[in-house]
Amino acid sequence: MRQTNSLTKTLKRLFAIFIAITFLFCALFVRLFVLQILTGGELTRKAADQWYRDLPLVAERGNIYAGGGELLAGSEKAYDIYARPNAVTEKSRAAAVLSDTLGISITAAEEKLSEKRSEVTLARKASAETAADIDEAGLSGIYCVASPKRTYPYGSMLSKVIGFTNIDGKGQNGIEGYYDKYLSGTDGYLYADADIAGRETGGSISYVPAVAGCDLTLTVDADIQSFAESAVMAAHAEWQAKSCSAIVMDVNTGGIAALASYPSYDLNDIPRNDIELLNLLSKNMLITDVYEPGSTFKIFTTAAALECGVANDSSRYYCGGSMTVDGQRIRCWRSAGHGSQDLADGVKNSCNCVFMSLALSLGTERFYDAIEKFGFGSKTNIDFFGESAGIVMKEENVKTVDLARIGFGQAIAVTPLQLITAVSAAVNGGTLYEPYFLSKVSSDGNVIYEHTPKVVGNPITPETSSRLRELLVGVVESGGGSKAQVSGIKIGGKTGTAQKYENGAIAAGKYVSSFVGFAPADDPEYAVLFIVDEPSGYTYYGSLTAAPYAGRIFSRIADAEGWQRDSVEEAEMIQMPDTIGMDVSDAVKLLESRGLVVETEGSGDVKSSVPIAGDLVAVGDVVFVRGKEDP
Amino acid sequence: MNGKSDFLFRERTDRLREIDIPLAVVTVLMLAFGVVMVYSASSYNAELNYGNEFFFMIKQIIGCVGGLVSMTALTKLDYRRLHKLRFVLIILSAVLLALVLIPGVGMENYGARRWLNLGFMTLQSSEVAKICFVIYAAAYMSKNYGKMTAVRGWLPLAAVGCVLCVLIMLEPSMSVTMCVVFVMLTMLIMGGMRIMHLIFVLVPLAALAVILILIEPYRLARLLAFLDPWSSPLEEGYQLLQSYYGLGAGGLFGVGLFNSRQKYLFLPFAESDFIFSVIGEELGLIGCALVMLGFAFMIYRLIRIAKNAADRFGCYLSGGMAALIGIQVAINIAVVSGCIPPTGIPLPFISSGSSALVAFCGGIGICQSVRLRSHVSVRAVL
Repeated sequence: MRQTNSLTKTLKRLFAIFIAITFLFCALFVRLFVLQILTGGELTRKAADQWYRDLPLVAERGNIYAGGGELLAGSEKAYDIYARPNAVTEKSRAAAVLSDTLGISITAAEEKLSEKRSEVTLARKASAETAADIDEAGLSGIYCVASPKRTYPYGSMLSKVIGFTNIDGKGQNGIEGYYDKYLSGTDGYLYADADIAGRETGGSISYVPAVAGCDLTLTVDADIQSFAESAVMAAHAEWQAKSCSAIVMDVNTGGIAALASYPSYDLNDIPRNDIELLNLLSKNMLITDVYEPGSTFKIFTTAAALECGVANDSSRYYCGGSMTVDGQRIRCWRSAGHGSQDLADGVKNSCNCVFMSLALSLGTERFYDAIEKFGFGSKTNIDFFGESAGIVMKEENVKTVDLARIGFGQAIAVTPLQLITAVSAAVNGGTLYEPYFLSKVSSDGNVIYEHTPKVVGNPITPETSSRLRELLVGVVESGGGSKAQVSGIKIGGKTGTAQKYENGAIAAGKYVSSFVGFAPADDPEYAVLFIVDEPSGYTYYGSLTAAPYAGRIFSRIADAEGWQRDSVEEAEMIQMPDTIGMDVSDAVKLLESRGLVVETEGSGDVKSSVPIAGDLVAVGDVVFVRGKEDP
Repeated sequence: MNGKSDFLFRERTDRLREIDIPLAVVTVLMLAFGVVMVYSASSYNAELNYGNEFFFMIKQIIGCVGGLVSMTALTKLDYRRLHKLRFVLIILSAVLLALVLIPGVGMENYGARRWLNLGFMTLQSSEVAKICFVIYAAAYMSKNYGKMTAVRGWLPLAAVGCVLCVLIMLEPSMSVTMCVVFVMLTMLIMGGMRIMHLIFVLVPLAALAVILILIEPYRLARLLAFLDPWSSPLEEGYQLLQSYYGLGAGGLFGVGLFNSRQKYLFLPFAESDFIFSVIGEELGLIGCALVMLGFAFMIYRLIRIAKNAADRFGCYLSGGMAALIGIQVAINIAVVSGCIPPTGIPLPFISSGSSALVAFCGGIGICQSVRLRSHVSVRAVL
């Protein structure tokens, strides 16, 4: 059927066309609504990236000072150099200047300037002179932005505590990391309207000034720190140890006066490209890692026994070289035994049998109560990342044998920090403080925060503490700690030599030798923990390896602090008797009869001694004899 | 045409007040708005590249003057004279379109030959061709309206349209081709083409579009960029993203007139093909809606003139102009808002470009001429 083409039909179609166009417009309006209203905010944010040339104004990072005001970490002027390739007008001259000043090849510079990005980084932390040279060249499209560089005037000193920042100046670890929010301040910005080539359009410029970070002052005493640093380095050299560390604590506040460890690394030259090495060197194992304390732990067994009244001056103990607990024979370190001793002798001799007896008479409940009160098994809450809580057996799992072992410092693991914190509490009159690094925070020279020592608890009474000090003074005056003696200064302390475990078994020949002491003994100010990890050779005893260096630190602290030295009579010097070929037990009897303190290794005939026969040795000093037969 | 109507027409022509005043007002407002927006969108670019921030604005004002002149002249001219000139116009269009293709004669810009250099101005042939095609189609359909429902009726017209399309495509200018195709189809529908025929035409046309996209690598790249502009924000997707940024920043009320940030060279063709994005940025969704309402109103007036026209030629002329404006506006906004792949097509009356201004104003003039000469009684009824 042929369709007609009437005027009515034309008008109908005109109307339909108008409706169709209107509908099209409505659909487009919906699309615009979606773009402008629903996604408008997001699009604006994305667009803002290109609209402004934002020059970050990096906030000046706060400095870190030692207790005496010595600068430990500061910032110096440096510049990051950027290019906006499409704003670079003289590419070849720019490449030449950049090649000259930054020491890169001309082709490399040209490549950078030809990159299809809005912004290209040419150099980071360039010196002020370099930046000035580039500035003088007056190149368009090249910008120098101040970007301070972190410097550490003392290099490797206190490196494991201070930590470092990443290249952007953000604190990564140590104090730099822990207190980053105080140190970093708030960055400011300079926003300038710019066209596509980065040319300022003369529009608004908004300026948000940077707020400088706060300065931190640590409890660390720069002098004591340097004493500790030189002692750990010397010990590391002498004993060829895996590592040597020392912590010095102010016993009356819990403040860390020094924390040194060797091997160490220079904070100005961080091995950022060798992550494994960096992790190893930067890890502060004194806080993050645990070890079996060994004999140094006997301090707490003694403290608990005195506090609970299970031991007193008239108590006597017998050591026959070993003790059988629950059918298991546990040996004293001296196979010959110590015979009958009172508590003071037991502490002096560090006789394992005495401490097993003490632990057994305390019982699990009372001993664990004391251990907990001294803070073992929980974090000290020091202001540092990655602290370990130590490993203490669950109380309900402790068998009698374990109890006995814990008595002389086995079957328990602690961090060096926990140990020195607890020792400080044991000798300062019985107050356990929370250890800390940060003593004050200041901004523009105004102190805005000052740390007040925080008391955690009182594990023992002042009387017990006083008695304990006397016992520990005995250890240094005429026991295993005698090498820590400092002429005219009364020092108390305890040595420790613990075998290391690897994969659940005792690692032969690997020891952690330590000494923990305090001075002045009558009214302690500082405690020192000195640890020699894996000394090589046979002289692995804490009394021989760690004690002398702890003594060295005390001696220098005494000089620096101007401690009154008592006049002392010259120690009587004798010749080292010749013990070669004698039975070890006979040799021990002979040497002890001459007033020497003896450490032994092995049994049978004596093969060697330190010092060798004929050398002068002070009465009361520690000597060492080694038998032919290995233990 | 009898003597009576001749008399009536003459009488009304004497009184130019009888023109469609709302249409004239909205046209002039559009032109004025265009001048302001072209200035806003181009001032930075003009200052930077020509040392004169008014460079594009002055060109636009000259274009508007030309537009007003052509509008007035064509209003006065009896549109029926165009019926006689239809062959001249269509051949002129084809010649102009062919000329731009000749190297040395046609100016090449952005990889396409679209302009003729006349010395004092550049002429974009396709803008003239679009209007001429509307006139030719209206003339053809009014003459052959009786057979427009049959294939033999509409096929010759479609063939002429196709010739023009091929010439435009050779420039190449996909968007103008698309615009001409849609205008042609709309006019065929207006002219009485059967819907079944339309469907038979559309299917191969869609297939042709696919082929055209696939044979030109740049079209495919643009299409892919259109589908995911974020994947190539610096290359193919760049233009679209910049348009999005402008629209997005505008929000509901816009950032304020002259406050566009995208005009700082971020948005390419800010004063021409993408001026709607600048409008969206500076005046917000409300500004966009007002502009679209303006165009809708203009189209409504044109349809109204078409309805009241004294003859089929006048009716088709006005309807064709309405379709041309509606389709071109829709394509432009669709491109700017990312509904269809980016193609270069100006926003009528507003985008910078003298040829388009003169052509579109001329088109409005022709419709005013139709209005002046429409039958009083018909107007009274509708």
